Amino acid sequence: MIAIAWVNLVRLFRDRTNIFFVLIFPIVLIMVFGLSFGSGFAPRLGVTGGTTPLAAELVAALETSGRMQVVRVGDAEEARDGVERGRLAAALIIPENYDRALSRYTPVTLSFISRQEPDALQLGAAIRAVTDQVTMPARAAAYVRDGSFDELVRRAGQVSVPGITVRFSATGTAAIPRSITSFDIAATSQLLLFTFLTSLTGAATLIETRRLGLSRRMYAAPVSSRTILLGEAAGRVCVALTQALIIMVGSGLLFGVRWGDPLGAGALVLAFSLVGGGAAMLVGAALRTEQQAVGVGLLLGLGLAAIGGTMAPIDFFSETMRRVAHLTPHAWALDGFAELLRRNGTIADILPQLGVLAAFAAALFGLGAWRLRAALTR
Amino acid sequence: MGTAGLGPLPCVPPPDQTARVPRAEILKCQNLRKTFGDLVAVDDVSFTIEAGETYGLLGPNGAGKTTTISMIAGILERDGGQVLISGRPHGTTSRWGKKQIGYVPQDLALYPDLSARENLRFFARLHGLGRAEARARIDEVLRMIGLTERAKDPVKEYSGGMKRRLNIGVGLLHRPPLLILDEPTAGVDPQSRNAILESVAALAGEGVAVLYTTHYMEEAERLCDRIGIIDLGRIRAEGTRRELVGLVGELDRISLTTGGAQAVPKELETLPEVRKAGSHEGRLEVMVEDARKSLPRVLAAATDAGVVVRAVEVHEPNLESVFLHLTGKALRD
Repeated sequence: MIAIAWVNLVRLFRDRTNIFFVLIFPIVLIMVFGLSFGSGFAPRLGVTGGTTPLAAELVAALETSGRMQVVRVGDAEEARDGVERGRLAAALIIPENYDRALSRYTPVTLSFISRQEPDALQLGAAIRAVTDQVTMPARAAAYVRDGSFDELVRRAGQVSVPGITVRFSATGTAAIPRSITSFDIAATSQLLLFTFLTSLTGAATLIETRRLGLSRRMYAAPVSSRTILLGEAAGRVCVALTQALIIMVGSGLLFGVRWGDPLGAGALVLAFSLVGGGAAMLVGAALRTEQQAVGVGLLLGLGLAAIGGTMAPIDFFSETMRRVAHLTPHAWALDGFAELLRRNGTIADILPQLGVLAAFAAALFGLGAWRLRAALTR
Repeated sequence: MGTAGLGPLPCVPPPDQTARVPRAEILKCQNLRKTFGDLVAVDDVSFTIEAGETYGLLGPNGAGKTTTISMIAGILERDGGQVLISGRPHGTTSRWGKKQIGYVPQDLALYPDLSARENLRFFARLHGLGRAEARARIDEVLRMIGLTERAKDPVKEYSGGMKRRLNIGVGLLHRPPLLILDEPTAGVDPQSRNAILESVAALAGEGVAVLYTTHYMEEAERLCDRIGIIDLGRIRAEGTRRELVGLVGELDRISLTTGGAQAVPKELETLPEVRKAGSHEGRLEVMVEDARKSLPRVLAAATDAGVVVRAVEVHEPNLESVFLHLTGKALRD
C-alpha cells in the first residue's frame, strides 16, 4: 500500500508543470492577495503643508486616528495628480497661513480632493471629525477673544464641560479581528482552493494508471484488490496533504501566516485532504480519459471553491448563498479555520466541521473505491 | 531458477526434434469459462504446461486469448472451471498463486514518467522482495533486458523495443516458475522481436513454464513446444506443430532444383519415407512426412542416381493452413 501511495507522490513532482502549480503558484497568489489588502484597508491620504505647529497638530491627529494612512506630498499639484492616478485615496491641502489665520480668528479653508467614490466620502467625514475635534479649542478662543490666542487655546483645551457623552462598549468578538492579517485570510482560502484543485486534476494519473494497464498488473501481483484500493486512496490523500502542507509551511515561513491551534488546524487539513483525495478517487475511477479528468477537475475545483467562499468572503454572501455554500466541503473547512483563527478555537470547537468533512470524505471514498474495484476486476 | 541473457543465443531447436521428457506440471487449466453478458468469451478451455515448456495460444484478435490468460493470471474472475498452479487451486485472491506467475500484459504497463529502475523497484515491492534482494535482482534483470545503461532514464524516452523489454523484465523480477506473455512482440521492430523470442526460449530452457499468446503464426512455430489453436473462445486443436499439421493431413515438400528436365530416379521414388515424387519445370518435387528427417536420405538418393542438385527448398505445411482447416478462416481475420 505504501509503495502505491509513494509512487503517486513521486509522479506528482515528476511532471515539471506541477512544480509550478503546486509549489510556486499558490504561494505567489497568497503574496499577491496579502499585499493587495495588506495595509489593513486604510486609505492613503496625501497631505500638503502642515509644517506650522497647529497644522502639525492637525496632521498628527489625522495620523493617530487609525482611519487613514497619511502620506506627505510636496504640493497641491502633486497631491491632485496622486489622487487622479489612484496612488492616493484623497488629499488634504493645508494652507501655509493655517496657524496665522486661526490665531487671528479669521476663517481658514482646507481643500479636500478626492475621486467620486463612496470610500472618499467616508474619508472626508473622518477628516471632518478629526478637524472639528482638533480645532475645538481654537473655536472656543475665537468665541471668548479675551487675551492672547495661545493662552485661550491652552485654557480651552483644559476645560472639561458638561455635555452629551456617547459611551462605547463592545460585546463578542470582531468578525475579523485586527490580529488577522490579509495574509492569514488569503492563505486559508488558497489552501482550500489548491488542495482540492490539485487533488482533482491529479486524478488524471489514476486514469492513466488504469489506461496503461498498471492497475491490472498490480492486481496480478500478490496484493489484494483492497490493498490496491487503499494504496491508490492513500496516494490521493498524500497528494492533497502535500499541497496543503506546502501552503501551510510556505505561507507561515514567508508571510508569518498563523493557522490557530496546531492540533485543530492539523485535523482540519487532514479532514479536508481526505475529502479532496476521495473526490479524486471518484473522478479517477469514474472518468475514462485524462483530459476529462483535468476538465472536470478544473470545473469542480474552481466552481466549488467559488461557491464555498474561498474566492470571496462568505461573510458577504446572502443567507441563501450561505446555505448553498455549505453544500460544499470548502465552506465547512472555512468555518473551521474561522473558529480556530478568529475565536482562538481548539479542536473541540471544530468537531462539527470535522464531522461533516469526514462524512464527505467517507461518501466520496466509498463511491470511488466501488467504481475502481469494478474497473480492476472487470 | 537461473537467469537468461538477451545476447545472441543459438537458434531455438525445432520443438519436434526435442525428445519430450515428462516434467513437473506447473499450470493446469480445466474447463475455463468466461462470459460477458451474452457473449461467451472463453468456453471450456483446458490445457496444461510443464516446467520448461512453452505453450502457445494461437488465435486471431478477439479469439479469447487475453481473457484466458487474465483468468490464469488471477486478474479476472472466471465463471467456470479451475486453474491449478503446481497442483494448487488458483484464483483472483490467491496470493501464493500470484507469486508463482510472472504476468507480462500486452499493454506497456509501465509508469512512463519513472525510470526503468524505479518501475522495477515498485513492482519488486509489490512482489514482496526485500530491499537488498530487490536491488540485486533489479540489477540482474536490467542486465538481462539490456537496459543497465539507460536504467535512470524515464521510460517515456525509451524506444518501443526497450519498453517491451522492460515490460517483460518486470514479469521476471520475482523469478516466477510460470511466465505469461500476452503478445509480447506487438508493435516492435524485427531486431527487438528476435531478441525477445530468444530470451523467452532461453527462459524456457532454464525451466520456466511459458504461456505465450500470439496471433503471429511464425512466432508460435518457432518458439512453442505445443500450441493451442483458439478461436471464438474455444480451443479448436492442441498439440505440437507437427501433430497439428498432421490433423490437416498435408505432407512436407522437398524441392530439388536440377537445372534441366529430369525424370524421377527410381532410387528416390522407392525410399520408404517418400510418399510421392514428380518432376516439374527443372525441379524434382518429393513429398515426405517429415522433411527435416528425410532430407539427408533424399539428397543422398538423388546424388546416387546421378542427379545434379543445384538448390534445395523445403516447404512445410504451416499453422496458417491448419487454422484455415479448423476454423474456415485465415489466422489474421
